[in-house]
Amino acid sequence: MTGVRLIRAEQAPLLARRYYARGDPGAIVAALAHVPEVLEVAMPFIATTLGASAIDARTKELVILRASARLGCRYCTQTHTLAASDTGMSRAEVAALRGEAPVDGAFGDPRELALLAWTDAVALGPGPVPPAVRAALLPHFEEPEVVELTLLVAATVMLNRFCTALELPTSSATLRRLAEEGWA
Amino acid sequence: MSEVAEAVRDGVLPGRVWLYANYHCNLACTYCLTESDPRAQRRELGEQRALAVARQAADLGFTALGVTGGEPFLLPYLPELLARLAAILPLVCLSNGTVLTERRLERLRPLAELPAAIQISLDRPEPQANDAMRGPENFRKVVDAIPRLVERGVRVRIATTVDAIDDEQRERLCSLHRRLGVPDADHVIRPIVRRGRAVDHDLGVDAGPADLPAELTITTDGAFWSPFGPTVHGGRLDTDLLITRTTMPLRVPAAALLRLVRARPPGTDAQLNIQ
Repeated sequence: MTGVRLIRAEQAPLLARRYYARGDPGAIVAALAHVPEVLEVAMPFIATTLGASAIDARTKELVILRASARLGCRYCTQTHTLAASDTGMSRAEVAALRGEAPVDGAFGDPRELALLAWTDAVALGPGPVPPAVRAALLPHFEEPEVVELTLLVAATVMLNRFCTALELPTSSATLRRLAEEGWA
Repeated sequence: MSEVAEAVRDGVLPGRVWLYANYHCNLACTYCLTESDPRAQRRELGEQRALAVARQAADLGFTALGVTGGEPFLLPYLPELLARLAAILPLVCLSNGTVLTERRLERLRPLAELPAAIQISLDRPEPQANDAMRGPENFRKVVDAIPRLVERGVRVRIATTVDAIDDEQRERLCSLHRRLGVPDADHVIRPIVRRGRAVDHDLGVDAGPADLPAELTITTDGAFWSPFGPTVHGGRLDTDLLITRTTMPLRVPAAALLRLVRARPPGTDAQLNIQ
């Protein structure tokens, strides 16, 4: 069950077809395909913001999984549990990001702990980020990195709410692997 | 000159913009693309939106309008709307020709002075064969309405939609439309497209973007590639030929359509004489 009908390949609008060219494009694309002009700008944005960039994959997945778990997004938490694991994070680190253990027990690097605090403050709000959280972050990251990571938190929150509100289904391949790796 | 105007001038983009006035109809033809019938959701485009689309189409450089449905003449305001649209751009309005009462015909009289035509469906030269797909009394009502439009000076085109028609039958049909006052130049014969109700009746030819003219088509559900795009099957709108949900400003779907047309491989122009 989903909160919205997912567009199948044979009904894919013209501007959406390229996303179906290599098979199942995933639930986010299949939902966004209802509004193709939004899909064609949203997907490059999502790919650029969440994908490979000047910031390493571990750092980005740390933000994505943490925000997704704190926002209670089943789809994003499940999907990025695997993505985070694939960056080489330990099981204890992934479990902590999923909210199953305290992060300060699993992470020891002050840079990563500062980023996790920043992620929580940006994602959960409300209002300004506390000065102490900002002060802890800035020594570890250059301004372009702060901008990119803050946008990453915001984009993740957007996706968290989108996927949760529309009850998007986690792919069967992801569910299978989660079960195999004992994350179910 | 806008990019769209240049594309229309150069023949890259067809000049006509179609408006889906509504989706409901007094008939329930077996090959109807939109599963229209008296109980279908109206999904009306609306008078003001139709006029706004027409004005923007003219501004962008499109050169003609088409109005279709559903049966557009079920909309009480249609005769006057057609006159206002035809004052903006040359117009053809598709109709089944069965609801053209004397009063409506009189209200259509101003179209005689405007670049406008009413395109009426007539598929076979005999009532029985024609009405088998289009419903009882269809033939009688159509051959009654056409001369009364012609008498008033309104240009009538006839559209014949068939899986196949032999030479003898086609000649009888052409003799009929000539007798009704419609010249050969205003008679089009086109295949049934296998979409909508035609799928359930195993009728027609499959048609995709390569087969259908890239005519920008505006509905209340969005903008589509060709008037054969916004079809309905199983009560659900088909989205495979959807361009954008945004219809206004018209430059948004027009620009998207132009991008799609330019991205087509060479040699993939419309093949099926679907018009």
